[in-house]
Amino acid sequence: MRIHDLDGLHDIRRTGLMKLLPGKPRIGVGMGTCGMGNGAREVFQALERELERQGVDAQLTPVGCFGFCAAEPLVNVHIPGLPLAVLGEVKPDDAAAIVQAIALRQPPLEKAICKIEEWDHLTGHVMYGRGLPELPHWNEIPFFKGQKKIVLRNCGLINPEDIEEYIAVGGYHAFYQATQKPNVTEIIEEVKKSKLRGRGGAGYPTGVKWDLLSKTVADQKYIICNADEGDPGAYMNRNEIESDPHMLIEGMLIGAFATGASEGIVYLRAEYPLAVQRLKRAVAEAREFGLIGDNVLGTSFCFDIKLVEGAGAFVCGEETAMIESLEGRAGRPRPRPPFPAQKGLWGKPTNINNVETWCNVPVIVARGGAWFSEIGTAQSTGTKVFSLVGKIRNTGLVELPLGTPLKNVIYDIGQGSPGGKRVKALQSGGPSGGCIPADNFDVTIDYESLAQIGAIMGSGGMVVMDEDNCMVDVARYFVEFTHSESCGKCIPCRAGLDQALRILKKITGGQAEESDIQDLEELGQMIKEMSLCGLGQTAPNPVLTTLRYFRHEYEEHLRARRCRAGVCEDLFLSPCENSCPLHMRIPQFLELTKEGRIADAAEMIWLDNPLPGSTGRICQHPCESQCRRKTVDAPLNMREVHRFISDQVFGGPLLDEVRTRLAGRRMAATGKKIAIVGAGPSGLAAGFYLALLGHDVTIHEAREEAGGMLRYSLPQYRLPKDMLSKELEIIAGLGVTFRFGQKLGAGVSLDVLEAENDAVFLATGTWKAARAGITGEESPSVWHAIHFLEQVARGEPTQIGQKVVVIGGGNAAVDSARTALRLGCEVTIAYRRERQEMPAIAEEVTDAEAEGVRLQFLVAPQRVVTDKRGRVTGIELMRTKLGDYTLDGRRRPMSTSEKIVVPCDNIILAIGERPDAEPLRRFGIHVRENDTAAADWVTYETNRPRVFAGGDLVTGASNVSSTMATGKAAARAIDHILTGQDRLPALLGTFDVAQAVPPEPEGGARNVSEEMPAAQRRANFAEVMRGLTQAQAAAESGRCLRCDVRETCSAKE
Amino acid sequence: MPKIITLKIAGTEIKADEGSTILDVARTNDIFIPTLCSFKGLSNVGACRLCMVEVRGVPRLLPACATTIVEGMDVTVDSPKVGKYRKMIVELLLAERNHICAACVSNGHCELQALAQRLGVHHTRYPYRYPRLKVDASHVRFNYDPNRCVLCTRCMRACEEVEGARTWNVMGRGINSVMVTDLHQPWGESPSCTSCSKCVHVCPTGALSEKGCAVGEMVPRENVFTYLKSMRYSGR
Amino acid sequence: MNWTPVFAGVTKSQGLSKDEKEREKGPKMLAPDNTPLPNEIINDIIARHPDKTGDVLSVLEEIQQAHPLKYLPRETLDYVACRMGVSRSQVLSVATFYSFFNLAPQGRHTVTVCRGTACHTRGSKQLLDALKASAGFHEDDEAGSATSFTTPDFGMTIRTVACFGQCALAPVAAIDHEIYGHVSDFKLKKLVSAIDKGTAS
Repeated sequence: MRIHDLDGLHDIRRTGLMKLLPGKPRIGVGMGTCGMGNGAREVFQALERELERQGVDAQLTPVGCFGFCAAEPLVNVHIPGLPLAVLGEVKPDDAAAIVQAIALRQPPLEKAICKIEEWDHLTGHVMYGRGLPELPHWNEIPFFKGQKKIVLRNCGLINPEDIEEYIAVGGYHAFYQATQKPNVTEIIEEVKKSKLRGRGGAGYPTGVKWDLLSKTVADQKYIICNADEGDPGAYMNRNEIESDPHMLIEGMLIGAFATGASEGIVYLRAEYPLAVQRLKRAVAEAREFGLIGDNVLGTSFCFDIKLVEGAGAFVCGEETAMIESLEGRAGRPRPRPPFPAQKGLWGKPTNINNVETWCNVPVIVARGGAWFSEIGTAQSTGTKVFSLVGKIRNTGLVELPLGTPLKNVIYDIGQGSPGGKRVKALQSGGPSGGCIPADNFDVTIDYESLAQIGAIMGSGGMVVMDEDNCMVDVARYFVEFTHSESCGKCIPCRAGLDQALRILKKITGGQAEESDIQDLEELGQMIKEMSLCGLGQTAPNPVLTTLRYFRHEYEEHLRARRCRAGVCEDLFLSPCENSCPLHMRIPQFLELTKEGRIADAAEMIWLDNPLPGSTGRICQHPCESQCRRKTVDAPLNMREVHRFISDQVFGGPLLDEVRTRLAGRRMAATGKKIAIVGAGPSGLAAGFYLALLGHDVTIHEAREEAGGMLRYSLPQYRLPKDMLSKELEIIAGLGVTFRFGQKLGAGVSLDVLEAENDAVFLATGTWKAARAGITGEESPSVWHAIHFLEQVARGEPTQIGQKVVVIGGGNAAVDSARTALRLGCEVTIAYRRERQEMPAIAEEVTDAEAEGVRLQFLVAPQRVVTDKRGRVTGIELMRTKLGDYTLDGRRRPMSTSEKIVVPCDNIILAIGERPDAEPLRRFGIHVRENDTAAADWVTYETNRPRVFAGGDLVTGASNVSSTMATGKAAARAIDHILTGQDRLPALLGTFDVAQAVPPEPEGGARNVSEEMPAAQRRANFAEVMRGLTQAQAAAESGRCLRCDVRETCSAKE
Repeated sequence: MPKIITLKIAGTEIKADEGSTILDVARTNDIFIPTLCSFKGLSNVGACRLCMVEVRGVPRLLPACATTIVEGMDVTVDSPKVGKYRKMIVELLLAERNHICAACVSNGHCELQALAQRLGVHHTRYPYRYPRLKVDASHVRFNYDPNRCVLCTRCMRACEEVEGARTWNVMGRGINSVMVTDLHQPWGESPSCTSCSKCVHVCPTGALSEKGCAVGEMVPRENVFTYLKSMRYSGR
Repeated sequence: MNWTPVFAGVTKSQGLSKDEKEREKGPKMLAPDNTPLPNEIINDIIARHPDKTGDVLSVLEEIQQAHPLKYLPRETLDYVACRMGVSRSQVLSVATFYSFFNLAPQGRHTVTVCRGTACHTRGSKQLLDALKASAGFHEDDEAGSATSFTTPDFGMTIRTVACFGQCALAPVAAIDHEIYGHVSDFKLKKLVSAIDKGTAS
């Protein structure tokens, strides 16, 4: 078996090729750990059985991992003469069909995701065959597009447990070439020329390191492969060893030959049992073939490789700590100098390189340093393997030329976040790295660029975070990690991280003070600059980068005691409550409903939300996206339950009871006068709470009735106005005075209000329509959605034509369309992106479609078409196509040259609204560029003391719950300032609610409200949704998993 | 004959032997650089990080104990930044364990106390951790109070490098690190300890002391160690 | 003259006799079977590691794996120190530094929850908390630094691992070294109660 020379190598190559291309079908099953975790072993066994059962002659072999983890288990099938077909998400049940297809000499196309016609192993080349036009080439599907496989050149295509297959694709030939060089410096020169840099993270030039070692004279030199891949979130080294262990061995052989080392050590994590096993086997095979040991390949070169399993200490990835560990001690780093190249393992010159660095070496020798240096950027050459994980659709190992823009990785290869949520940040480089905010995703991936923005490349872990991840928690998580992995030798790292962690826990626990952030920042800087080794020097990076890019999240935890992402448990009751802008105690009112305590439930929801009937109908229900029940079946229909409760109140004797209970909660009169401008949801909410807190409240409203957008913009079929009036009566009944026909700047002067009141709250909303900027927009037949809807709401005649086109994709667009439909029009909604990107509530879109509204996507308005007399006859739309991703993770609609004209009589523009900032400016209130009022985001106080602003006026057009939330928050702040006490929590009170978690998820499927049939509803404005029945509401409430109850399970003990 | 190197430390031009560290040269020339872990005659571990200095042209801070001098080097020993960081380190140490001077045998002879005074550390901004570690008074001649320990590992190095007994080592890691004898057994029952007292006399704080000392009475006798050190140097 | 240490390492007789004294003081562990491994097994393991590099770690790893309760009894540490000529304090230092080593007996089943970044972002903390709660461990800030929890009957040990490197399957848990991907707290509790029952019957 021993190979002595090139002929021997060629012999094996021929044998190996017979295995790769056996002249009969070959099935390779991806058997990396992640493949096996997804059932690859069962798939392999099923295929084995099927081949036997169907009597099909094919070669079944385990291969490594091809990198597309999201589609595991991966199976590739090669039928002689045809391309290799890569199948994804193969289940054992698919085996029969696969084998059947193979028996017919047809590749099983059903599960196929791509094909490979030929493959450049870089050290060799394999031609599989051409054909299968129905399948895309491997590098045409999003996940592989833009990838370049150098390190992963063989992964997933050869059997990692068979040295002959490695040799078949040109393995060990580079090593042979190296041994034939007249002078070893030529090898080192080649590595230097390649500009290969350490792939473990630090990025030190490999050639320079080798040069140092080769020039040191010693009786014994060591080379070490750092495979102690401890970065949580990184697993490329595991896969490289599991899928292609021989490339590592060959790289180390070349390195040893070039530097004169006689012993190599692979320090491998014990947490990777399969990698350990495969590498052990590979080393044994290499020894058997005479590639390791004495007189390798007939030369005088002697080299052996020893495998040492690490025992779970992250710090051992630091080279001096690793040496300590190899010498049988605790892995505490030594000070440098002396450097390992001078005094390393057992005091001998030593060179340590990362797995991936070694794996690049055979290719550099085979193809030349110049070839390698052309890939990537001038400073960062070659490729790097990244593990793309976290909140990303296409998880997997991605090998990219350095210099690739980050957004390509996240949005093109990774395809964004799976739940359609917004990607917020990328954590690169593990505990030593930093968090890159989505706004910086145009950064290119190379050592310098990443360092510049405070992150590092590190070993290549890329963890994607979306809006459900709390960045303070991420910082806390990493500091907790480095804190527990700190060796404890140097004080900055040991005691500094301990104090940093304490501060972070204070912040996530809602106990921090303002000074804590500064202390944390100072500690971070000190630890970074003063620590002994790389662990300490980089440990503050996650903190420092999150402080730099996500400071507002820290401040939110600190000032508002709020964790928007719903991670820091001490700051909220349950995920639904936390996502609710009004922080309704959802699990508790569900429990009350379940128990039939409707009066209590009603009191609670009114205290939390003064307009429960309206919000119960039109809220965007962010609670549903956070509901844990969706991991079981479907999220709870929480909005409909609270609508049910309010309907019960309005429909019967409970109304008086609720009024009495609320009046009973009213606190003693304070004698403070508060003026509110604007009787929209925000002003109403503020008025409600301030009245209950005992203040004297007057609401000034420009229009003739209260309700704001609820009354004048929301169509009757979604929100019946008589119900709204009943809600308003309750608020008025608490002592809130309304003054109508009072417009800010016209009827009311802010100066007067300020002088006559103790505090003023401005909530005048967004009543100015945004302009589209197209020709013909001024035509009287072109309407703006809010004007159109208001006119209909007032019951005024609209003189609308037969055909209407609505431009936009938000709720106003859908409301306008459905309203126009009810007025007897034929309606088309034109939107420039695609359906899933429409900001409108999805159910509304479905309902509109059911009623007969046409939806036209990927079109942008160009021009209003008019006839000679200036009458609108249609609208010209430009077809758009979705181009590259912008930094917000959405694809940019790009103009095409194709234009269409949709004939119509009227056009309704629903492209947004803005506030009327003029009166504010006149009164000296700071206004932002988009005309919204500038107010503190916790207290909503403006630059004028005791003048507060909230609602859409501050946030821009939003939704009813968010806008009410600002009124609630402002009321709390106003009360706090006027009375010196934070009294709102006491007002909300506590309710005696059962605290038991259902041991198993209860209740059946999600209950939905009965709807009026589409055919009936298109002719009138009657309410569409009929609401849950009593039985439904009780059943739905029972489905709650009670995430608000935390400590119950211990009772089981 | 070693080569002579000229360098500047704290603005003073100095000539020194090649191969010396910045700390060696500073000490010889009476320039103060604070340290807690470094001890003449023991190997350098670079653990306390108090001796970090700025060297012109080097972006990072360098440990004076581990950095060898280079011709033309210009060392600033107490820049405002380093001064601030050193204070933070001392504060971190004071908060890490129980350092209550008024009840300590080493009061008045403690290196940590002296350092805090010299650096102007009057209080610590960090809350005390109060770890409540068990005092080991099992040895007939010595006491070990881990609550006073700063984990400088001088005891361990003295025991291993000079005495050769290797009784002391660090147990655990990170903030939970603690110096222990043998298999974390009572010191008095240690099979390897020779009761040579070297560890006691290199300890910078009151963690290791002689039995019978009252508050402020534990004075390390460095000369005991100097004698052995000179033996060691003559030996090589 | 060459300066040599007065006492090089630990003399064996001294070490063992001390240890015998220790043993007489009574059992320190309440494990079902806390006897140390027979010396012959340890000798065999040590003999398999003739070269010095990495040997202490490897020997301790193999001994722990050989022990039915997957831990390193104190007697074993003492014996290894003597056999290998390494100081006791160094062996203890190694055994307490690396998270792989256990100085207390482990449960019959081990459930390991991965606390890697990818798993963390996908909720492994909640997974661990739910698992701990269902096994009767209370959320306790002081114990927050503990990395493993063994039930009083030694039925189960709950551990965490820095990262399994199975990030694509996050969140990941392992039950007796078998990896389970995309686990939810319901799924994990079900899997755990299945092994519980498996041992009971």
